[in-house]
Order: sequence, then structure tokens, then C-alpha cells
Amino acid sequence: MSSTRGIAALVVAFLVAPGAALAQGKTDPGIAIGRQMLAEDNPGELWIEQGKALFHQKRGPKNASLEQCDFGLGPGKLEGASARLPRYFSDTGQVQDLESRLLTCMVQLQGFNRDDVVRRAISPAGSNGSDVEALALYITSRSNGMKISVALDHPKEQEMYKAGEYLFFRRSGQTDFSCVQCHGEADKRIRLQDLVHMTGKNGTQEIAGTWPAYRGAHYVVRTMQWRLYDCFWQMRLPELVYASDASIALLTYLNYQGNGATIQVPGFKR
Amino acid sequence: MRLAWWKWIAFGAPVLVATGCSSYPDQAATREIAEKMVSQSFTAPTPGLLKRLEQDRSQRICSKIGGAKLTQEEAAEVVKLARASIQYPASGKLVGDWKAGETLAHDGAGDRIQRGVLEKRKENGGLCQNCHGLAPGEINVGNIGPALTGYGLQRGNSEAVAKLTYERIYNGWAYAPCSNMPRLGATGHLTPEQITHLVAYLIDPASPINTR
Repeated sequence: MSSTRGIAALVVAFLVAPGAALAQGKTDPGIAIGRQMLAEDNPGELWIEQGKALFHQKRGPKNASLEQCDFGLGPGKLEGASARLPRYFSDTGQVQDLESRLLTCMVQLQGFNRDDVVRRAISPAGSNGSDVEALALYITSRSNGMKISVALDHPKEQEMYKAGEYLFFRRSGQTDFSCVQCHGEADKRIRLQDLVHMTGKNGTQEIAGTWPAYRGAHYVVRTMQWRLYDCFWQMRLPELVYASDASIALLTYLNYQGNGATIQVPGFKR
Repeated sequence: MRLAWWKWIAFGAPVLVATGCSSYPDQAATREIAEKMVSQSFTAPTPGLLKRLEQDRSQRICSKIGGAKLTQEEAAEVVKLARASIQYPASGKLVGDWKAGETLAHDGAGDRIQRGVLEKRKENGGLCQNCHGLAPGEINVGNIGPALTGYGLQRGNSEAVAKLTYERIYNGWAYAPCSNMPRLGATGHLTPEQITHLVAYLIDPASPINTR
């Protein structure tokens, strides 16, 4: 484990070393090749087994596993479930993404305290990761090779989608940013970091198909809830609440746009 | 039975609305739903910081879904509000110290909120490097905005250029309404004095930006 991290750190350090002329265009091919090499030996794979063990283990005050958790296709049915999320759940009366649904099950089936789970959901960089991160990866990995197919059949799903679209373009704060300022065009970067083009099909498919992902700079697996939280941090806005409606709205918008993407997790991010 | 009746009210009615109207929810309903989400989905160490989520008039106009074009009236209003927002440093001097400006241009920190803590520093960074090419040969620069390499070489360093540059940093929407460029002075992210240093960094012939 630690040697994997060491190698990853070395390669990352090499990748950000200057030397390539980038000018205004795309990522340097050398950097792209280096990233590809890293992705082929993705340390995030290690989290899948951890998530699998956590899923089947009897845990929490109710000493129960998550085997009865319904992610939309019936209790315990994981194959293809995350491909259709977010979706409306009649038992909670809410549209839920993978992580908010997982939270519901950890509270209702296992008896965990919701605030405790939320507080630990996003792990510190360089840690062993959180239970939620490992579980989200394991559950999503059971849909590997399947296509994203988010439906907007229920009126609440329609509302979430439209709200997500509205929020994607909603500018506020001292930077005047919404999502689209950075993610509205192809081949854009913040400093050296490539930005996903989210008003294009390729970009939203990349999002829908590659999260949770191993994040090289943090040495842990990260989820989309983290990804959104971190964007709002950089935008100088208040902190996005884990599994909040605004986060689920944005995920409904993005994943629906990404329909047709093939799920392949863990993704690998710089 | 009673429960079933309530369920019909709760779920059946919206379904009827949805099927009857292909674009449910409409613009006004969407706005109401989404704004309620904004008010419930964020936390901050102090209530005052939650105000960052509130949109001013210009931000509302500049939030068109799908990048729809501004009407002429809207563009004119944003320009007018921007012009009225611009304040100049008390000293009246618009060109500061290019070295201070160089440091600021490469500083992307300040005023972020994480795990209940506000990143409070004496001054915020200028954020320029995130989006703009800077001195020749600098690799670690973004490309969301135009490259500023050779800015002063192309424009000179006259008083008029200094004023235009100051205003475009303070509130660029006075010239390009709703552009991606943050209104760095008008929103309070930078002080007028900091902006004079950035002006110097861009137009001073001695600045690395203007290295031939």
C-alpha cells in the first residue's frame, strides 16, 4: 500500500514538473500518457474489497449488514443500480443519489447516527478513506461495464433535473462563478489542471462513468459529493452540505446529460 | 384507504400537471424550487457568510440557462450597474508596484470556507494565474481567459490604458457584460490598492509580463 502511494507520488511529481510547452491548447501529450500509465495501475482498486467487506459485515447499533439496502432495483440488488441514480424513492419520498441512499440505509438498517456518518463521509487527504467512500466505490463497481441510464419519469425527478440545470448556471459570490464559467468550453484548464467540459456529451459521460475515483493528489478514493463540495470551496461559497438537495439536483442534471456512458470505476484523477 | 387518498393528492396531482404540460416544472417553479434548495443546502461558520449565496441584480441577469443571449436592455443594465460600482483608490494613483502585483497574480488563496473555518488572510490572492497566461515561458497557467503575455507591449502604459486596465479588473462587466471574469473589485475580493498593483504588473515596461 505505502509503496503504491510512493510510486504514485513520484509519478505525480514528475507530471507536474515543468518542461512542456502548453500555451493555450490541450494537455501536453506527455502528461496524458503519464496519466494513462497511472490509471492502468489504479490504487483505487484496493478500496473495492474494503467496500465489499463493509457492505456484507454486520455493523452499527442494529448489528445489520447492508444486504437489504434497496438502491432502486430491489433489496440487495446492486448490478445496474448505480447506473440509474439519482432516482425517486417512494419510501423516503425523495430523489436520492448513491451517497444519500447509502446514508438512508446506514441510518435505517444499521442504526448509525446520520450526523456521525456525514461528518466522516469525506475523509482527510492521505488517510485510509471513509466507510462511505469505500462503500460508494464498491456499489458503483458492481455496475462496471453497464451504461448510465438516468430516467426522469417521476415529477420529482423532473424537478431535480430542472433545478440542477438552474444551479449549474447560477452565478453568485465574490468570484461571480457558476459551474459554467469553468466547465462550459472544451480544452480549458485552471493552471495546469484540465477542466471537464460539462456542456458537452463527452464531459458529462466522463463524470457519469468514472466516479468514485482514486485521486492521486489525496491518496484516497473520492466521490461526486466530494467533487461538488470542493468546487464550491474553490468558488468561495459556503460549504455544500453532504447529500443535500442542491448536490442531488446537480448530480441529476449531470448524470442525465451523461446517459449512455459506460461505468468503469474506480476512475483515476490527478 | 385514507392513506391511499392522500397519496393520490401527493403524487397523482403532480403527475397530471407533468403530463398536461411537457415542460414541467416551468421557469418560475424551477427557480422557486432551486432557490429553496440553495437556502437549505449550505452551511457557513457565521450567518453573514451565507449571504455570499445571495445574487445581486447583475448576477441574476448573468445566470442565463444554456448560455442564452442577453437582451439589449439586460446588457445595458449590467453595464450601467458595473460603471456605477467602480471606485478608485483614495490616492488617485492607478499604477502601483508591479512586484506586489506579480505576487498577487500568482496567489490563488484567501476567503475559502472549509470544515467550518474561513480562510482569513490580510488580503486575498488575485487569482489571475488560474485563468490567464502571464509572463513568457510560464507553464503553470490556465487558459479560461485570454493570455496577458505582452499586455503592456501591445497597449503601452498611458494614463488611458492604466484607467481602462484598472476598470476591467475592478468590474470588467462595464466593458463585457456577464463575461467569465470576476468583478474582483466590485465584489470586494480585491481592494482598490491591490488592483493598482495588478495594473502595474500588466503595463509597467519593467514587469516580466512585458519581457520581449
